[in-house]
Amino acid sequence: MAFLALDNLTKSFGSHIAVDRLTLGVEKGEFVSLLGPSGCGKTTTLQMIAGFVEPSAGAITLEGRNLRAVKPAKRGLGIVFQSYALFPHMTVAENVSFGLEMQGIAAAERARRVGETLDLVGLGEFAGRFPRQLSGGQQQRVALARALVIRPQILLLDEPLSNLDAKLREEMQIELRQIQRTVGTTTILVTHDQGEAMALSDRIVVMNHGRAEQIGPPHEAYERPATAFVAGFLGKTNLVNGASVRPERISFAASGLAGTVKTRIFQGNHWLYQVDTADGLVTVIRQNTGEAMPEEGAAVHLAWGAS
Amino acid sequence: MSKNGPIALAYHALFVIFMLAPIVVVCWVAFTPEGFLSFPIQHWSLRWFKALAFYPEFVAAFWRSLWLGALSSALAVTVSVPAALAIARYRFRGREAMTALFMSPLMIPNIVLGIAFLRFFTEIGLSGTFIGLVLSHIVIVLPFALRLTLASAIGLDRAIEHAAVSLGASEWTVLKRVTLPLIVPGLASGWALAFINSFDEVTMTVFVAAPGTETLPVRMFLYIQDNIDPLVTSVSACVIAVAVAALVALDRAYGLERLLVGRGSHGR
Repeated sequence: MAFLALDNLTKSFGSHIAVDRLTLGVEKGEFVSLLGPSGCGKTTTLQMIAGFVEPSAGAITLEGRNLRAVKPAKRGLGIVFQSYALFPHMTVAENVSFGLEMQGIAAAERARRVGETLDLVGLGEFAGRFPRQLSGGQQQRVALARALVIRPQILLLDEPLSNLDAKLREEMQIELRQIQRTVGTTTILVTHDQGEAMALSDRIVVMNHGRAEQIGPPHEAYERPATAFVAGFLGKTNLVNGASVRPERISFAASGLAGTVKTRIFQGNHWLYQVDTADGLVTVIRQNTGEAMPEEGAAVHLAWGAS
Repeated sequence: MSKNGPIALAYHALFVIFMLAPIVVVCWVAFTPEGFLSFPIQHWSLRWFKALAFYPEFVAAFWRSLWLGALSSALAVTVSVPAALAIARYRFRGREAMTALFMSPLMIPNIVLGIAFLRFFTEIGLSGTFIGLVLSHIVIVLPFALRLTLASAIGLDRAIEHAAVSLGASEWTVLKRVTLPLIVPGLASGWALAFINSFDEVTMTVFVAAPGTETLPVRMFLYIQDNIDPLVTSVSACVIAVAVAALVALDRAYGLERLLVGRGSHGR
């Protein structure tokens, strides 16, 4: 049995079914993302694992013991909230120390572990600051440190990067991945950002209307989407002759599907084409290799490998 | 920043004059040497301030009002906390009715409350007692205490409490270490507003108080029914001086804007 197992987990609010018979096994040390549009049930799933939402049906087991019978305060999970939810009236060190204090750990040991964890997230010298004196990215790290310091069995991340700007988000993704590898904590991330989910996870769970549409490694889900929804949600896709083809898989060739270049956009490392064909508009992405590329209005042929 | 035009400036000036004129006039008249109310005064004198020494009941009434306001406001805020937390976060049967009940003293004319309390307290033997005053003032100031407590309870991010729970805190610990410290600014402003309303209340209190338990406004009201001398103006001037001193002290220590606006997110 998996380290954390969700078995037919269901939550309905009146007639609305938020999570519909979700079954998922998470292995120890694994990084799994729940990915989907807003309202797909990913946050409700996380809240049921955390214990803040009572499931309507189904089971949650952690190392074989029934988690539903355990109070939220006793589950020993580390949670990073979307709003960070830092204690605004406590310093960074007091925030991080809070969970250790609840466990009744002696002050000297607390101070040592708080210092260690703040160093891990690179905030060693900010221990005496208040959250409002920190930037969004720094608050994010404090929230992560506060969740990690109690050495949780599972780390739950609820859209932790969505309040950061694009550049910072990318940096934090890399850092989050490194920290998770260092401490080896089993992690569940909830996100609507497919790039983030694919970059960070060992496996992703693509959710829609409360159901898991596909569960698998990011590369597999991207290359072999189980449903049209998964294909569309994980990236740009073309439907040609009833088959779904990723834009970067299509190349310009001497023969193949005939068409005319409608628009061409240069995006630095690649070119983005819209080609008018008998099968409708086809999106093509080509690496920029420095060579000359077909111009707008040019007649082209499109080819792609049968995959 | 845009500058105000002459019409706007004139309007603001008129508004400020309208607000301040009565206060300025009262303080001014308090310095009259005459035995009657006259304005403007001809000469300056401290006669009516010195006269206060012969009316110890005014000083006693002032202290009584102060204690009454402090105590009834503190109790009203205490009652408000659980009510506000329940109303802010749970949808339960009778929630609207409960809110309406707590806010209802605002809708009922104070004179009606006064008559009702007079009847009720006479029945149960609390008429004219300080306890009766406290109980009736709790009712009067509860809507103010509850409103501001509620505002800060609604503004509270529940994720912060969830974070504390996930870190192993019991419900009691969450309340003590997280919830209460975060709504303290709301409680302080609720208390201050409640205190001001209690200190000011005369319509209802005049029915509830008896000789020996008169509040300052009641004492002043009863005095000017029988006398037309400027004693009440010197009492008023003293109260204004105390109020201004208190406001300045509060502003220095805490920031008046923060107190009255009641921002919940500022820790310390």
